Amino acid sequence: MRLLTHNMLASNVRGATTGYPLKLEAAKWVTKEVDLNADFIRGLLPKIDWRALVAATRALGLPELLPEEQPPEEEIFAEGAADVEGSAIRRIHHALLEIHVQEGSLVCPDTSRCFPIDKGIPNMMLHEDEV
Amino acid sequence: MIQVFSGITARNLRGAIHASNLYSVSIQHKEFFCWKPTYQHISTNNSMRPNDVIEAQDMVPAEGNRSCSSSVQSTPEIEKKYVHRVYDAIAPHFSATRFAKWPKVAEFLNSLRPGSVVLDAGCGNGKYLGFNPDCFFIGCDISPPLIEICAGRGHEVLVADAVNLPYRDNFGDAAISIAVLHHLSTDERRRKAIEELIRVVRRGGLVLITVWAREQEDKSLLNKWTPLCEKYNEEWVDQSSPPVRSQSATLLESIAETDEDAGVMKQADDRLKKCHDSMEDKTIAACSNTDTDEKETNQQEYFVPWHLPFHRAEIGGASAAALENGFAKKDEKKGTVVYNRYYHVFVEGELQ
Repeated sequence: MRLLTHNMLASNVRGATTGYPLKLEAAKWVTKEVDLNADFIRGLLPKIDWRALVAATRALGLPELLPEEQPPEEEIFAEGAADVEGSAIRRIHHALLEIHVQEGSLVCPDTSRCFPIDKGIPNMMLHEDEV
Repeated sequence: MIQVFSGITARNLRGAIHASNLYSVSIQHKEFFCWKPTYQHISTNNSMRPNDVIEAQDMVPAEGNRSCSSSVQSTPEIEKKYVHRVYDAIAPHFSATRFAKWPKVAEFLNSLRPGSVVLDAGCGNGKYLGFNPDCFFIGCDISPPLIEICAGRGHEVLVADAVNLPYRDNFGDAAISIAVLHHLSTDERRRKAIEELIRVVRRGGLVLITVWAREQEDKSLLNKWTPLCEKYNEEWVDQSSPPVRSQSATLLESIAETDEDAGVMKQADDRLKKCHDSMEDKTIAACSNTDTDEKETNQQEYFVPWHLPFHRAEIGGASAAALENGFAKKDEKKGTVVYNRYYHVFVEGELQ
C-alpha cells in the first residue's frame, strides 16, 4: 500500500463519522523507485490531504521527509525542481508513490476499528454487524 | 450487430453502443447529481440512436451515502455462496483465463487524461489495472485470492466490497465497474454500488460500468444458464422485500448465452464459437422449467457455470471439499468441476 492510497482510504465502519484519516501503524515498509511525473503530481496535489500525508510519513519514522505545511505550488513546480535532489516535488513524489507499507494496520479514528495490512494489501472488509 | 452504450452527463442521458453480450454505461459526475432509486424503471427506446439525448428528470441531488441501511450493505447468502466462495475457489483458473481486454473498456481507459487516478471496483485478477500507463490505478475486490494475484503482479490493490467502498469522496478521476454489478442480488445493492462509484469520483470525473446483458445476439446457445425462479425468491430473497423486476423486462424476449468461460471478450465482435452441449448442471435452487412465457420473459436471475478442469481442481483441497458438500459437481464428460455463479443479467435500459 502506497501512501497515496492511504491518503484516499477511509473507514466506513458503522459508527464512523468521517472515518478519515486512518491512523497508520506500519511494522514493515519498503521503497521502490519510480519515475517522477510532475504533471501527475500537479494533478494529484489539490486532492491530497496534506496533514494526513504528513501524519503517515511521521508514522513511518520519517519526520524530516515532509514539512508540516504544504510548500507553495510555485516552489514545488519550479523549473528544474524535479531534477534537484531533496526538492519538494521529489519528496512529495517519494512519499506518495515510492513508499510501500507491507505489514501493519490502519486504524479508524472514530471507532478504533483496525484494518490489517498484510503483504502490502489492506483488508477493508467489514463484518456483518459493522455495516 | 446492435450496440448500446449510454453516457450520462449531469442533465442528460446519451444513447450510444449496445454490445452483444454486455451493457455499459458511462457517467460523468457533476456536482450534486445522482440517480434516484427508481432508475431501473426508466425504459429506454430500443431503437435509440447513438446521439439521442434523453432528459434525465430522474436525477436528484445526491445524499450522504453513509446512512444506508444494513440490509443493503450486508451481503446476502446467495452472493456469499455463489459469488464470493466460487471466485475464491476458482481464482487461479479464473485469472489464467482472464487476460483479454474488452475494447470498449480499453477505449475508455485510453481516453483518460494522463495522471488520472482510476478506481477499479471489483477488479478481479486486475487485467485492467495499469492498462493505461499514464494513469494511476487502484483496484479492489472482495476475493482475497484474486487480490493476491493482482498484488503479485505489482498492482496497487486492497480487499473491499464494491457496495461499500472504503474511499473518501471525490478522489478518483475515474471509476470502473467491469462485469461486477450482475453479481449483486438485489436492486438496492446494485444501486448502492453505482452510487458508490459516483461518490468516489471527483466532479467531472467519469464512471464506466459494464454488466452482462440478458439480450444476447447468439440465440443458439440458449439454455446453458440455469434460471432461478420461484425457488430463488423463496430461498434467497427476503420475503419482506421481493425483487423488483424492471418494467422494461417485458419489452424483451430472448435469453442466450455467450461463453465468458472461454475468455471471449477479446473483441466486442467476437462471437461465441464453442457450444456447450448440455444442461446437466442444474442445482438446488434451479427450476426445471419456466411455467409461462411471461416468466421466461422476465427471467433475470441465473446460475452461470464455471468449469474448473480436473487438473486445476486437484491442486487445492477447496474443490474436494466443495464436491463433498455438494457445492460443486463433477462433469466427467468435460473433465471439470462445475461451480455455479450467481448472475443477475440486465435487461436493456435497466442501467439507466
